Amino acid sequence: MAQELEVRNVSKSFGATKALIDVSFKLRKGTIHSLVGRNGAGKSTVVNVIAGVLKQDSGQVVYEGQDISELTLKERQKLGIRLVTQHASIVPDLDVAENISIGLWPRNKRGLVEWKQMHQRAREVMEEFGLHVDSHKLVRELTPVDQRKVNIIRALFGGGKLIILDEPTTSLSAEDRDNLFHFVRKQAENGITFILISHYLEEILRVSDEITVVRDGEVFPGTMTDSGSQDELARLIAGEDVELTMRNPDKVDSKEVVLECENVSAEYLNPTSVKVYKGEIVGFVGFPGSGAREICTMVYGLNKKRGGLVKMHGNPVEIRNSGDALQHKICYLPNDRHAFGIVSIMPVKENIGLSSLKGKLRGAFGLLDIQKEKSIAEQSILDLKIKALSADVAANSLSGGNQQKVVLAKVLTCEPDLLILDEPTIGIDIKSREEIMKLIKNLTALGLSVIYVTNDFDELLRIADRVVVFNRGEIVGNLPNKDLTPEDIIKIRDQKVGQAI
Amino acid sequence: MSEMKTQPTPDATASKQTAVRNFDKEKAKKGFIDNIVWVLLLFGVIVFIVLRPQFFNPIANPGLYLNIPMQAAVMGVLTIGVAGTILLGDIDLSVVGIMAVSAAVGVLIFKTYRIPAVLAMLIIIAIGGLFGFINGLLIAKLKTVALIETLAMNTTLAGVVLAITRGRTITVAETSYTALGQGRLFGQLPYLVIILVLVYIVMYVIWRRTPLGRSMYAVGGNANCAKVSGINVDRIRIAAFTISGLLAGLAGVMLSSKMSSINSVFGSTYGMDTIAAAVIGGTSLSGGVGRVSGILGGVLLLNFVQVGLQVFGLDSYYVQMATGLIILLAVLIDSLRIRFQNKA
Repeated sequence: MAQELEVRNVSKSFGATKALIDVSFKLRKGTIHSLVGRNGAGKSTVVNVIAGVLKQDSGQVVYEGQDISELTLKERQKLGIRLVTQHASIVPDLDVAENISIGLWPRNKRGLVEWKQMHQRAREVMEEFGLHVDSHKLVRELTPVDQRKVNIIRALFGGGKLIILDEPTTSLSAEDRDNLFHFVRKQAENGITFILISHYLEEILRVSDEITVVRDGEVFPGTMTDSGSQDELARLIAGEDVELTMRNPDKVDSKEVVLECENVSAEYLNPTSVKVYKGEIVGFVGFPGSGAREICTMVYGLNKKRGGLVKMHGNPVEIRNSGDALQHKICYLPNDRHAFGIVSIMPVKENIGLSSLKGKLRGAFGLLDIQKEKSIAEQSILDLKIKALSADVAANSLSGGNQQKVVLAKVLTCEPDLLILDEPTIGIDIKSREEIMKLIKNLTALGLSVIYVTNDFDELLRIADRVVVFNRGEIVGNLPNKDLTPEDIIKIRDQKVGQAI
Repeated sequence: MSEMKTQPTPDATASKQTAVRNFDKEKAKKGFIDNIVWVLLLFGVIVFIVLRPQFFNPIANPGLYLNIPMQAAVMGVLTIGVAGTILLGDIDLSVVGIMAVSAAVGVLIFKTYRIPAVLAMLIIIAIGGLFGFINGLLIAKLKTVALIETLAMNTTLAGVVLAITRGRTITVAETSYTALGQGRLFGQLPYLVIILVLVYIVMYVIWRRTPLGRSMYAVGGNANCAKVSGINVDRIRIAAFTISGLLAGLAGVMLSSKMSSINSVFGSTYGMDTIAAAVIGGTSLSGGVGRVSGILGGVLLLNFVQVGLQVFGLDSYYVQMATGLIILLAVLIDSLRIRFQNKA
């Protein structure tokens, strides 16, 4: 097969940090080539060098036989190299056709946009690439998976031949991921080349033609798709053995109820009752808008409760905001770290103390106990193995996995009885993920109860004692995690929809 | 052999040392940028001393160096209140209006009902706080945009002052009232400077050592995160605007006492200067970044340059031009700081 792109001996440093060390690998035309590695390993730097966002210190990038090392981002775009990141690329308040045509609007003689022609063209392009949505619809109103397809089609429409997908499946459900990769595979068969960055090893093994592991700025190119196992890949990524956290579900047989919801309702949530026992990890599963997340944010006081009763330790509690929830020893780790989890310009120690300003950190005369704040933060850095030069550095100087650990340290500092984790491992590297899961597992032995909201069924079944499945605002399954497979969960979730009504 | 194993390899130690050294270097760089306003102030003082030694020599003419904080006192008290709202990512453009209205009303009550001066002053501060509270309520609860809401408040209150004074000057000659603005402790230290220092100490404690202050940084840095972390964001906003109003009231007391009078253009030159001083002092207009010490530096720098240029005999429009250029410089430094932060 023809060679599309070759990276030759590329090195890149940021100050004293060597981000890439003599990196070389090749891409073949019409393949899906995955880059895997921990956060901060250098994956983003590699693709930024390829796309022309960053300039390498030494080495070459050769594309279709041409040395493009000195070309700018724009010039490389013209050649067909496109970087598709999930946040920056689409404009939610424009419609589908406008998004696809951004920068390439058809114009009439007076320089005005020819709207009809634009929609016509967009429809043709979508037909060609197999996406069936109304071109007049606002992108914001599309399902997440269709939004991502629009994003990719936009790159293809602009003449993209080498598409770099940076974490395209984050927060998509298992089916949506399949759906998206089916779509990507089809484009690859038509000769488009893809570079895929993802943390989901299982999906990488399934869809990639080739995998290149990036570790500490060096690459280990390989074609291990068929023979490789997840464990093997995990070991290559970490550079050491990674023990996958497993839980023994039989161990919990607590009768003590910590949280009890009686007929609670909220937006997207019909009257629902559920209990959480002391020391158990309960997985909440469901599509966005199914009620799985909504019941959690309602319990934590971020969503308005419309009816029903919430009890903690058997006593009815009224929680109107997150401050009330903290008082009742309920903590919540939000799903979007950047939007809700962290104040990025604040020092690590102040982030860790943020939920304890009126609790543990309250000192004499109502002043903050700054010494205590610092010592708690330093202890957390040790306990959670947070990689930070000190507790005083800004949170945004840490890698994603370590930032997530800071958020976790913040909620654990409140010493919760009930901890709600909303997709706690999204977008973080495998080693951090296993460390976080292990820590949570150990804390439940001390009596912590955990609600674990996730759509990563593989992860869920490794750690949960019980699985509660939501669909359309109702609980459609509540069963112990015994001999369950991801397929079982999907079946329960989807089957009951047909049975209901 | 067993000892060897417990030692880290020389290579690892060396790389760790480099990392620590780089970290110290970065820290020093950050410290320099954070305190650049004091560096500029020192630089300015030296330049003026070299150019006009007979006037700016601190030994020959110590009065000047007391005169500058005296000049800066009212503006400084206003600035730290405004800076608190900038720290939230908002802004307060209404402080001059609040200052003038509260002072005018308070002084009229003082003169009409012959109440003790101290009581009148407390009333002025309370009125300022009330207007600040209203600002906070409208911004936090009704989600009005701070920039426009406070602009509207300022315009309204400026109109109220005109209506109260009818364009004339209200004088307060009573020494019980003017002692504060014109007197000196032991005949040396102006009371206004003492107030300025006290206000900055109190605000330092609030910003750095109280849950309120820490929450203000958090709300300015990421309001959504603050909300999820158990902080009552609305209450923090209301508190910051109320404090700004209270300080505007206090500034009204100080200025009316110093001038023995109130007129329709009472303190109107301070409006933009407060924001300029806050930004020069390192408060980021995007919120979440700012230091009380830097803001004090910004206040002193701006006043020093204004006083200094007048000493040189420059016309007031050149002084205004210079103020504008300093603000431009401050914004450039701010953008450098942001670029530096993003790089780290």
